[in-house]
Amino acid sequence: MTTPSLLGLPLAWLGAFFVAPIVIVALYSFNVYALFPGPHGFTFDAWRSFAHNHVYLRLFWKSTQMSLVVSVIIVLLAYPVAYYLALSGTKRKYILLLLLIAPFLTSYLLRVLAWKVILGDQGVVNSFLFWTHLRSPEHPLSQLLYSRFAVMLVLGYIWLPFVALPIFVSLESLDRRLLEAASDLGASRLRAFWAVTLPLSLPGVIAAFFFVFIPTLGEFVTPSLVGGATGYMYGNQIVDLFGTGFPDWETGSVLALFLIGVVAVLTIAFSRFLQPQQVAAE
Amino acid sequence: MTDVALSRNGALVLRGFFALVIAFLYAPIVILLIFSFNNSEIPSFPLSGFTLHWYHEFIVNGDLRAALRTSALIAAATSVGAVCLGVLASLALVRRAFRAKPLVSALLLSPLVIPYLVFGIALLLLFHTLGVPNGALTVVIGHIVISLPYTILVLVPRLEQIDASLEEAAYDLGASRLRTFRSITLPLILPAVVSALLIAFTTSFDEYAVASFLVGPSTTFPIYLYSALRFPSQLPQVIAVAVVVLIVSLTVVVAAEAGRRIAEHRVGVL
Repeated sequence: MTTPSLLGLPLAWLGAFFVAPIVIVALYSFNVYALFPGPHGFTFDAWRSFAHNHVYLRLFWKSTQMSLVVSVIIVLLAYPVAYYLALSGTKRKYILLLLLIAPFLTSYLLRVLAWKVILGDQGVVNSFLFWTHLRSPEHPLSQLLYSRFAVMLVLGYIWLPFVALPIFVSLESLDRRLLEAASDLGASRLRAFWAVTLPLSLPGVIAAFFFVFIPTLGEFVTPSLVGGATGYMYGNQIVDLFGTGFPDWETGSVLALFLIGVVAVLTIAFSRFLQPQQVAAE
Repeated sequence: MTDVALSRNGALVLRGFFALVIAFLYAPIVILLIFSFNNSEIPSFPLSGFTLHWYHEFIVNGDLRAALRTSALIAAATSVGAVCLGVLASLALVRRAFRAKPLVSALLLSPLVIPYLVFGIALLLLFHTLGVPNGALTVVIGHIVISLPYTILVLVPRLEQIDASLEEAAYDLGASRLRTFRSITLPLILPAVVSALLIAFTTSFDEYAVASFLVGPSTTFPIYLYSALRFPSQLPQVIAVAVVVLIVSLTVVVAAEAGRRIAEHRVGVL
């Protein structure tokens, strides 16, 4: 088979159902297409008001901060886990790796559900505190659910196993002879870690950060289920603009394209650290 | 044990930390398991007795069964479609030389990074503009796009391990390209094809964001779950479903991984 006949179908599929839809979003953002019949034609109005109306940009910044905090914390937590699996010489490392990854491969919504059950005012944590008289039922820990904290906890919980993968892959491929050389030359383990292991595993760390930062930035399911008002994120705003209440597809399209733009820039900036085997290594 | 990477104490500390992380990951799942058998409308302490009532409730819940069936059909169609496209694309990427390869592979993998929410909206606008009604078919179309890069990531490394001269030999001996693929390439990449099918199936079965914009009048399992999460009265039932789905998917994941290792071991790395 020739190359065009192999690639024709996959590329046509992506052209029609991936590239074209994004072009349509752009056309809506410039009011070339519009939800409601009426006067429309090419304008920058929605883009202009997006740039001047700080509500959306401030919300985007808030979501960025939340994603950053979650990503940094779970990368820091995942590093020692990956280090243990890759370098401690345990014989069961692939079984332990599977144990770590398995929750990630189960239903996303059900893992959110678990935290709803745990964190609610009547939930597992609070009812346990009442039952053991550590807290009176009139005063539950009410900030647990429907808060920014809840969103960040649940997002961290969901992505933690996944983040360990790229770090594991980079530590696994580390040449142990380099560490032996460092040790022969008199370096302590700590020194060898700072001078050899950490720099060599940095591409994996950066990829891990990227793989959690990107999806959490556009998150809307978790905040809508456990976030309440303070956990509201940029993604929720986009959904609301396309929702059934007061749809504004023009503004919504601007917000959506802005998010794609940021993700595209980050992807290009991070691309030299991203390798396919980091996500395929199961 | 003296080791260049880890002192004995360091290994102990890290092992303890690993155990804590595993406990953190599995504790919520165990809590769901406990409360799925709890005889109370509200999942809270103290536990009020053992019941199988919630499991019975969901087994007789027709809406829920219909949603599970819809999701299974969508996921099956998605996995077949995505793997067919994925095999074609992977063959081109591994076996052919062409100038635009970096660009093409970037495009093929780019659905990995697009926010699903934005992608769902984009497809919604496309189908709205074209006047295509939403339904299971539009969800399958979207799910094939987001599953395609995962199938390629599984298939490409496997194809790279297979010596191209085997295919060339078959071709030289007079087999057509199609025949060569069927009797040489496909059997050799079969374990990866099965993995790719499973990954595409689970990606689609669990997908909420894209489906929520495209599903129309029918209901998929994640969409059913999402709306049930908003009605506390359904919570115990949903917890019971959750336990069943979590256990089934954990079992499938572990079995698939074990199966793939055994199969690849038997076929051997050529």
